[in-house]
Amino acid sequence: MAAPRSNREFVEACVKSGDAVRIKQEVDWDNEAGAIVRRVCELGEAAPFMEKIKDYPGFSYFGAPLSTYRRMAIALGMDPNSTLPEIGREYLKRTNGEPIAPVVIDKKDAPCKENILKGKDVDLCRLPVPLVHDGDGGRYVGTWHAVVTKHPVRGDVNWGMYRQMMWDSRTMSGAVFPFSDLGKALNEYYLPRGESCPFATAIGLSPLAAMAACAPSPIPEPELTGMLAGEPVRLVKCETNGLEVPADAEIILEGEICPDYKVEEGPFGEYTGYRTSPRDFRVTFRVNCITYRNNATMTISNMGVPQDEGQLLRSFSLGLELEKLLKSQGIPITGVYMHPRSTHHMMIVGVKPTYSGIAMQIAQLAFGSKLGPWFHMVVVVDDKTDIYNWNEVYHALCTRCNPARGIHIFRNTTGTPLYPHASPYERKWSMGSQVLFDCLWPVDWDPVNDVPTTVSFRSVYSQEIQDRVTSNWTAYGYPPVK
Amino acid sequence: MNQWEVFVMDVAELAEGQDLELTIRTLNPGIHKYTYKRVRAQVSSDPGKFADQLQVRLGRGQMSNRKFSIEVLGEVQRMPSKYL
Ligand SMILES: Cc1cc2nc3c(=O)[nH]c(=O)nc-3n(C[C@H](O)[C@H](O)[C@H](O)COP(=O)(O)O)c2cc1C
Repeated sequence: MAAPRSNREFVEACVKSGDAVRIKQEVDWDNEAGAIVRRVCELGEAAPFMEKIKDYPGFSYFGAPLSTYRRMAIALGMDPNSTLPEIGREYLKRTNGEPIAPVVIDKKDAPCKENILKGKDVDLCRLPVPLVHDGDGGRYVGTWHAVVTKHPVRGDVNWGMYRQMMWDSRTMSGAVFPFSDLGKALNEYYLPRGESCPFATAIGLSPLAAMAACAPSPIPEPELTGMLAGEPVRLVKCETNGLEVPADAEIILEGEICPDYKVEEGPFGEYTGYRTSPRDFRVTFRVNCITYRNNATMTISNMGVPQDEGQLLRSFSLGLELEKLLKSQGIPITGVYMHPRSTHHMMIVGVKPTYSGIAMQIAQLAFGSKLGPWFHMVVVVDDKTDIYNWNEVYHALCTRCNPARGIHIFRNTTGTPLYPHASPYERKWSMGSQVLFDCLWPVDWDPVNDVPTTVSFRSVYSQEIQDRVTSNWTAYGYPPVK
Repeated sequence: MNQWEVFVMDVAELAEGQDLELTIRTLNPGIHKYTYKRVRAQVSSDPGKFADQLQVRLGRGQMSNRKFSIEVLGEVQRMPSKYL
């Protein structure tokens, strides 16, 4: 099965496999669509493809695009029944290969150019921008999208998923955190010069382009998308600036970021399951041009309590990017996993504890890396603990982590303004603190006499007894074990 | 009559009897609902004092149960002219 090249192909594939439903009745952009998507996330349901939107004939919505591993597998062109470790292995295989450069196609072949609005016709309200959660600071244009920019000196292209709120018909405000690629470019280059920064926002991307836009990978996102898809992503030149955008996207907004002029943004329902970050003066985007496909579909992610794609996908890619980093340093890890229900705050690392201080080394690399601001807990377990099995990890955490020697607090680190546990001041200044839970038996303990032996069916009985008990299980009167 | 909404950290920010500069959004039905304007305005905790109604939300989007009326005196342009 080939990876879907566009959001449309993805919707089709999901409908076919039962992972999306077509909603034919009219849905209101004002709260109702958002509420549908939220409920879908909380119930783990099929993604809603809403075909008829109040006030916006000809437009549709696709919500919760990647909030299940099944849809993630479909996005990668895999069997929807693939297990999480299988999907993870595939991601690592594809993203460890050679970068696949994008191709630039002619405007006449680019679906995103089917409609072009410029000058006085530019009005974001002509798009079905949803009010995602009741009480949000505004209608959010960008909840599942990519903000495209180019570094002014290095020239490398950045696609980042930074939320964007509609402020008025031509203005958006967005949360671009200072430690993100775009945040650094704005603060280091554009702000001191008072120069505006060209941008484009692409909405309704292919699922792999969206995955790349929110992956914390050092590989430029157009190349990363190509690697994930196994073929080049198609780009097309913007109408009003020198940027190139995904040609198969549903909607493109072109304009400039005004680094020295900020307008209010938020509050907004966030991936932590709260509205945490304050309404604040954030980055301003002026829109000069809108292009879109006929019958364009707007993608909606509704962040809140687990589980939505923010949690699922970010947990997935943060975990796997950390796995790559730790392996690149030669640390004998067995794997890295973030449970989406941790709202991507707890990194679980399995390792063969062959030397002292290995958990500390893992935590220092994790917290010190570019990934670090996004999570504040690292739990290190041994190679016999199944990192995907929360029962085992929880047991290790509660029994092996010594309160005095196993818990290490890292102070004065970088955090996000979205941390619910941070003080208002810490949130404002992206200040963080982090913690390591070292659940390894110390290497200087005698493995025979000092290390406790685990008492479980699997570990204390001989194979012969285990086989006898499992084969007689139903004869004893128990239902078969699934 | 227009319907407006404002976000404040504290309702005390809505001082009565003086000109205030506020960022308000329209709640009038239609495709421009929830778009913002920066305005000079007077507000009153008497919902009947001015013709337009003002609904208030707090820092995390919670609706305040206090209702105000508002008179918009004019728009304020904050955006530097180079971006207009
Ligand atoms: C649904 C969703 C919304 C996000 N919103 C934001 C945001 O508003 N601001 C931000 O800095 N990062 C946000 N992120 C995380 C970034 O997309 C992510 O860090 C990405 O790798 C871009 O970061 P970079 O510029 O550091 O590469 C969001 C991620 C997802 C999945």
